[in-house]
Amino acid sequence: MAKKYRSKKALERGTNAVIYIILTVMSVVWLFPFFYLLLQSFRGEPGAATLYFWPHEWTFNNYIKLFTDTQTFNFPKWYGTTLIISVVVTVLQTAIVLVTSYALSRLRFKMRKPLMNLMLVLGMFPGFMSMTAIYFLLKLVGLTQEMGLVGLILVYVASSCMGYYICKGFFDTIPKSLDEAARIDGASRHTVFIRVILPLAKPIIIYTVLTAFMAPWGEYMFASLMAFGNQDYYNVAVGLKDMLKQETLYQYFTRFCAASVIISVPITALFIWLQKYYVQGVTGGSVKG
Amino acid sequence: MAGLSLKHIYKVYPNGTKAVNDFNMEIADKEFIVFVGPSGCGKSTTLRMIAGLEDISAGELTIGENVVNDMEPKDRDIAMVFQNYALYPHMTVFDNVAFGLKIRKIPDVKRDKQGNPVLDKNGKEIPVMRHYNKDEINQKVLEAADILGITEYLAKKPKEMSGGQRQRVSLGRAIVREPKVMLLDEPLSNLDAKLRTQMRSEISKLHSKLQTTFIYVTHDQIEAMTMGTRIVVMKDGFVQQIDTPKNLYNYPGNKFVAGFIGTPQMNFFEGTLLKKGEEVEINFEYSEAKIKVPYSMLYKARPAYLNGKTKVFIGLRAEDISIDPAVVKDSKTTIKVKVSHREELGNQTLIYGDINMDGDGYTESSTRIIIETKGATDFASGDIVEAALNINKVHLFDRESELSIIPRAPEFNYLDCKVASGKLSFLGVKLALPQAIECADGDYELLIPTDAVRFGGTDAEVEVVGCENVNGKTVVSFELGGRRLFALTDGEVANGKTGIEIDLKKLSFVSQGETVVESMPEVIRMEGVLVKEKAVIETQENGKTVKKNGIKFMLDVEGYKIPCPDKTVDKLITAIGVKKAFTEKLLYECGPYDLQFASEGISTDVTAVADYGREKFAVCKLGENTAYVYSKDGETAGLKLMPAVDKLAIYHKEKHIRII
Repeated sequence: MAKKYRSKKALERGTNAVIYIILTVMSVVWLFPFFYLLLQSFRGEPGAATLYFWPHEWTFNNYIKLFTDTQTFNFPKWYGTTLIISVVVTVLQTAIVLVTSYALSRLRFKMRKPLMNLMLVLGMFPGFMSMTAIYFLLKLVGLTQEMGLVGLILVYVASSCMGYYICKGFFDTIPKSLDEAARIDGASRHTVFIRVILPLAKPIIIYTVLTAFMAPWGEYMFASLMAFGNQDYYNVAVGLKDMLKQETLYQYFTRFCAASVIISVPITALFIWLQKYYVQGVTGGSVKG
Repeated sequence: MAGLSLKHIYKVYPNGTKAVNDFNMEIADKEFIVFVGPSGCGKSTTLRMIAGLEDISAGELTIGENVVNDMEPKDRDIAMVFQNYALYPHMTVFDNVAFGLKIRKIPDVKRDKQGNPVLDKNGKEIPVMRHYNKDEINQKVLEAADILGITEYLAKKPKEMSGGQRQRVSLGRAIVREPKVMLLDEPLSNLDAKLRTQMRSEISKLHSKLQTTFIYVTHDQIEAMTMGTRIVVMKDGFVQQIDTPKNLYNYPGNKFVAGFIGTPQMNFFEGTLLKKGEEVEINFEYSEAKIKVPYSMLYKARPAYLNGKTKVFIGLRAEDISIDPAVVKDSKTTIKVKVSHREELGNQTLIYGDINMDGDGYTESSTRIIIETKGATDFASGDIVEAALNINKVHLFDRESELSIIPRAPEFNYLDCKVASGKLSFLGVKLALPQAIECADGDYELLIPTDAVRFGGTDAEVEVVGCENVNGKTVVSFELGGRRLFALTDGEVANGKTGIEIDLKKLSFVSQGETVVESMPEVIRMEGVLVKEKAVIETQENGKTVKKNGIKFMLDVEGYKIPCPDKTVDKLITAIGVKKAFTEKLLYECGPYDLQFASEGISTDVTAVADYGREKFAVCKLGENTAYVYSKDGETAGLKLMPAVDKLAIYHKEKHIRII
């Protein structure tokens, strides 16, 4: 007797339905806090977190006051400080990561592998382990509080090359014969890197830029320690946390939500601007595939 | 345009793997050299060392006039085509080809805005380096594109092109710079068979058009045979043979070359050779087959193999075996073959069979035979046919070393001789044996090295019958007492009667398979290290002698220190490493004329003086070795040995790498 089979299409439909339900639930759970925050930022009535979702009174005032009422909380200053730190760190860190990764991918030197392993292991330790020591070192050379901006940049950039791993993996996929062809064509290592490798490494440059920007943009622990309670030297993360103090929470919660929306703007803008370079198959045709 | 010189080139990886061993070659300008061999034979590594992409572990590489061992690839004035094309994917074809021109600077003179040369105070032009201008780049790229037929693709990106077109772009990128040497690393391996054939002729055409030196790496012997003016066959990092395609095919130096070059592969049988009077009997192992050939066909064969016991490989190409009844009828050298199957190739048929009647003809064995025929064949599987062997084309190889035992340039002449009362007689020649050759009266086999015969002497009268150029040397064939003998000389000798002189120190006497008198050892081996010493160095500055503290490098040769030239120090340090260069043991080699007796030098004990009649040599103890050192008058009392530093070959003792 012929064995009965279930229709393959019916089975696929069933499986897909289950998968989509799970994904939808996950999306709702994930996106809910963001929508709640967005809606709260337009809430007109005062008070801390509400139990209702849609504001009773809609207003744009929270955004306006964030930039005009700077008496208690100087949000524009924090924003500016954080932006400067993030941009400088992004530039420096991207450059350091790219050159480190290229060197580790292409050059062969003694202790290369032990060095790579050491960097990988050191990179796994959380930064706050050495926080106190670093703080006192920076204090000794006067790079805290009013000079905290420089100190923070130094701290964020210092460990940049620990993040070489993903970038090196990408460089490893670019055929070495391209470097060799360029070197024979008359290029120095530097020229090979700038004119041949970097144009092919756009996806990984974008990845590096985004991660390099996001880390200091949302960093709290070091920034809080460096400011040492002085509001003038806060970054946005420390400043916003300060807004949520018991005594100011009622008045400033909606403004806090507005600020949270604003700080997501640069990252979103950066991603939208960079994603056009984030194209696949950029090395197509270079070597026999 | 330039020639290349590779002297004792080695590539040793940090884990000790020797990828290239003692590569020696002189490449003339405009030659088309092909490196061929199976995967992992070191051909690409050698090419990459020439390109500067791999460091040279030891040896000297010269391009044109310059030693380029430590020169960056960009400064070597070479161009390279890669197997995988290595095109810059983000650039158009035009930019790919123009890349090398855009970043390179060329020598020029300083010019004003009108383009006229600017002169200095002395009225001379001022040399400057400048980039190519746009017009120059355009013109050169268009010229290259025109030669390669890629003009219409100049605006395209590599990914929009086919494999053949991409390889053309890669060639264009190489030729546009007009390099001294073009290096091609398996450029056709990624193309399909038809395109490969087409590109093969295009590259050959390009070579004749550009008139530059080409070095081409391939594993495909057909590419090698059709394109190269000379071919380098490599295996396991060693050069097997360097010769023209025709000579490689006709005179393979060993079994590997014989098997690698030619399609179908040469037939190899195992067997023995037995000399019976003026005939040699060839017995095929694992088979009943046996043939007799005149000894005159095998004059160059080493006699040690003609004893009927020493096993050899007998090589014959498929086209040198015939089953054509007309040929078989006239041939005296025929064997029986059991046909197993055949391969029709259109213009020819390959008949597979076995000379062992129990063999299957399919398995590659020492009895399997492949016969090439052009005529109609109606043999069925299992048929037994007579096959005629063209023994004039036979190749014989040693069973163990696999080296040819009938070399094109033989090393020795083998003769029967008689020694009686201090006189040596052979083929009607009588010579007085010198004091150094102590040989009891009796009959011997005499080995006269081909380089021991000099023309223009009075030892014997011979008749020169022909000369043949083999790898830069001349093999002179001459008749003496009815025997054909050979001599290796630097130049040709006119046919006809002439006198010869025999270098007696090179003779060996063999009796019943044992060497009774050996030739004089001509290699002197010594040991030592490179040392550095603090010293006061005198230099001339503004006409004055200035003394400065510095370091002086010396070669310790068996305990005696001789100043080491800077060039030698550089080579030793490059090959061994900065620290190890002063601790690792070195092995020195030189000839008997390269050490001189002097009041200063290496202390030695002279145990005897060997008198070879025309020359005298002192027998000296040097460390654990015995050395024969030339001594004009044989007087050595109280004297020491002074080595000529420029004549020393220097090896890394442990790794056995020749550095100098």
